[in-house]
Amino acid sequence: MNDARSVCCPLIKVARALKAEILYQPHHVSALMVCNVTATDLMSDVLVVDKDNILLVTSLASDQAIRTAHIIGAVAVIIANGKNLPSSMLQVAEELDICVLRTQLPKFETCAILSRMLRIP
Amino acid sequence: MKNIPIDINESSLVVMDLIFKLKIRDVMTRGLISAKRCDSMHHIQQLMKDNSITGVPIVENKRLYGIISIDDIINALEHGYRDDPAEKHMTTNLVVLDEDMPLSFAINYFDKYGFGRYPVLNARQEVVGIITTRNVNISLLMALIKEIHELESRIEPHPTPDNTYMLKEYHVRQYGFDEAGKASNNLKKFLQEHQHPTRLMRRAAVAAYELEMNLVVHSTGGTLTIIVTQEKVEINVVDHGPGITDVEQAMREGFTTANEWIQSLGFGAGMGLPNARRVSDEFDIESSPDGTRVRSVIYLNPQDAPAT
Repeated sequence: MNDARSVCCPLIKVARALKAEILYQPHHVSALMVCNVTATDLMSDVLVVDKDNILLVTSLASDQAIRTAHIIGAVAVIIANGKNLPSSMLQVAEELDICVLRTQLPKFETCAILSRMLRIP
Repeated sequence: MKNIPIDINESSLVVMDLIFKLKIRDVMTRGLISAKRCDSMHHIQQLMKDNSITGVPIVENKRLYGIISIDDIINALEHGYRDDPAEKHMTTNLVVLDEDMPLSFAINYFDKYGFGRYPVLNARQEVVGIITTRNVNISLLMALIKEIHELESRIEPHPTPDNTYMLKEYHVRQYGFDEAGKASNNLKKFLQEHQHPTRLMRRAAVAAYELEMNLVVHSTGGTLTIIVTQEKVEINVVDHGPGITDVEQAMREGFTTANEWIQSLGFGAGMGLPNARRVSDEFDIESSPDGTRVRSVIYLNPQDAPAT
């Protein structure tokens, strides 16, 4: 789901809807807005996206997910399926100041909820 | 051979400055181990042994009477006069140094007279210390280290052309996934700090990242150089092989030689090179079994970009 667009939503509200925990929270988290979503475990797919205010939904719990998100200027990374994160991942998040969330929901359900939240009514 | 291999007339300016600036009082040993005229040679031998020294000045009431060196002790052992008083065998033809003299005097004395140590006197002719070549060497070494630190701190950073404001070279290891992406993240951070337009930053960062990941995944290691000027971001990648068999094929989306393990890490989908080219304003690639070179340029002012 690459193109759920048109409506932007505060990241905090998105996190609440996905029952997500915030694992790394930049100080400006309340100002973050989600306008686009990219859901994939393949970072190469992320790198071809040319949109702003992206939320990256992935099950890839590795440093590269954070680094890739930073490269494309994503708002935040949400790890689906409640995956455990290596500790280095949060260190990278802090270094690059990228918000990291985790939800127990599978990727498909995560996307379904995001789709409802961000689509034009 | 000289005792202290320094030419006090013709050394580097730093050394000359040091040997004239340092005074003998800064260099000498103060807690002097001495003996009296009536002490036996045997007693002095013991003093040398206990303190690991090779010379003992004979001093009474701060006045210097002579010096017993290890040679005198050897003679005493050889000729069997270990119980004689020091007075009888000490060297009285003494060469002394003044504590206010510059270190250059001591260095000169070591070469001129060939003694291993010189007693040091103050202005009232009282013994205040002793100086050995070891004192000189250690103090000079310490002073030089301090001086070199000082000089190094004054070295200007590597000069870069006026219009270059970032020039960084990164060594990228094969399969170095822990570090992979750091160089590109640094570029992105740098561009963010300089508040470039979001899309331009993304294009430059994506080009760097794709090429950096290519080095990690496909090469046996290489170098990523990032140059940022007012006009453009230039990314140069050079690796040491194994080279791309068919560059044209590699530039096609979806073509990959990456194994499953790499794909499980989220890479190797065969999009890297085509995507790097897509985001670049200029893109060159050449490859042989000795290695691959890629150059990507992204113009920071869209009007500078060549028409496509």
